[in-house]
Amino acid sequence: MIRIKNLRKEYPNGLVALDNIDLRIQKNEFVYLVGASGAGKSTLLRMIFRADYPTSGDIYIDNFSLSNLKQNQVPYLRRSIGVVFQDFKLLPRRTVYENVAFALRFLNYSRSRIRRQVSQVLELVGLHQKMHHLPSELSGGEQQRICIARAIVNNPPILLADEPTGSLDPDTSWEIMQLLSKINARQTTVVVATHNKGIVDDIRKRVVALDKGLIVRDQQLGAYDA
Amino acid sequence: MRYLSFFISEALIGMKRSGLMMFIAIVTITVSLIVFGFFLLLSSNMTNLADFISSRLEIRVFLTETVTRQDVEDFMSRVRSFEHVQSVSFVDRDTAWTQFKQNYSNIQLDDLVSNNPLPDTLKVVMTDNEHIQKTAEHIEQHSTYVSDVTYGGVIAQRMTSFAKWVRIGGFILVGFLTTATLFIIVNTIRLTIINRRDEVEIMSLVGATNAFISGPFMIEGLLMGSGSSLLAVVFLKFSYSFFAYRFQEALPYFPLVFKSAILNEIYIFVLLLGALLGVLGAYISISRILKKVI
Repeated sequence: MIRIKNLRKEYPNGLVALDNIDLRIQKNEFVYLVGASGAGKSTLLRMIFRADYPTSGDIYIDNFSLSNLKQNQVPYLRRSIGVVFQDFKLLPRRTVYENVAFALRFLNYSRSRIRRQVSQVLELVGLHQKMHHLPSELSGGEQQRICIARAIVNNPPILLADEPTGSLDPDTSWEIMQLLSKINARQTTVVVATHNKGIVDDIRKRVVALDKGLIVRDQQLGAYDA
Repeated sequence: MRYLSFFISEALIGMKRSGLMMFIAIVTITVSLIVFGFFLLLSSNMTNLADFISSRLEIRVFLTETVTRQDVEDFMSRVRSFEHVQSVSFVDRDTAWTQFKQNYSNIQLDDLVSNNPLPDTLKVVMTDNEHIQKTAEHIEQHSTYVSDVTYGGVIAQRMTSFAKWVRIGGFILVGFLTTATLFIIVNTIRLTIINRRDEVEIMSLVGATNAFISGPFMIEGLLMGSGSSLLAVVFLKFSYSFFAYRFQEALPYFPLVFKSAILNEIYIFVLLLGALLGVLGAYISISRILKKVI
């Protein structure tokens, strides 16, 4: 599903964020990317949804090379990859419903189809009762749920989550991870970048550990530390 | 069609939500379009004045007393065949005298002058007043029929040149003001869009195409531009009518533009320009921001 080949990212100031990254993620897998801040987790995720470019190497999504992707094709790639951001990236002046529905607007769906899909996904993330609220009226955990709902509303085959529990308390973090597991069970490949040790140790999945831009460990049902 | 209705509703929501910013933008664009429209009206009036003055330029050919009616006809045909001559008409001395007396009816000319002192005259109107002097000299060479030729001399030349420069100056001014207005509109719209840069970035990250992101902003630009130009036109129309009529009352012979066709052309131009610059401004602004958003 996702194949990363000999990827390197070097910034103009000489800093190497990622080096010699080789990784294969199968369909419907759940993978943690772990490592300290600055290890390169977020950079790797950003490259998968083409918010950043590698210096060399390539990423293949379903055997399609991202280095061959033209700029005007990027939106279509992003529609097949749901992204959950640590800072949520919600439209502050739109309601919960509008934030989630937005990801369907440009798919030329009918209003009734948009309404149906948004309702279903808000039900899944437990925000159905708050669909007419503004994000600022909700808690951090609820805002993260909106972000997840928006990421999965069009049923993308891949979901990337960058520190989805980064700013949440332990209980809420646990709920968010349960939700991501539930989404994974619905045939979605999930890649989570996190440095939340408790979560990784409690919900055992494949762990890919990064250190200073290099993969230092790749372990099935691994823990946070080796 | 579904996209268009979405763009329109998004544009209206966007405008409503950035209320104060939008108000400032509309006022700024309206004021710049009023200044632009004012100069268009001024330029149109200057051109009109120059045209009016130069259209009054003509060559008066005073004929000798001995000339026969047949000589006059032959001479008129010859003058008509000259380059740049639009029309030649004959004013016989009696008609000229009657007209003269009518024009100066406040003076009892019959008491002062016993006989008609005016000669038969040809009135020559040019297609292009630049050549008035040469044509006058050319006519004067036919001294068998001609006793004198007048054409306004240097003043005629200067008026023609003035009209020409007013026209060129008008074009340059319109070009300059169009650029300045575009600059103001682009920057004003840019401020409203920069205000919502996060929104643009989020739209892009969740898979919206550039066209889809730009659509509502372009409609906003169109609505802002046409709304502002409509306000500007209403202001210009009423203030022009108000001031022009008062000016005309004070200076009745001054040739102000009152033809609704010309004025409507200016107003429609301002309207279309406002709408066009609104869309163009939005396009330039959103394109710049989209380039920065990966």
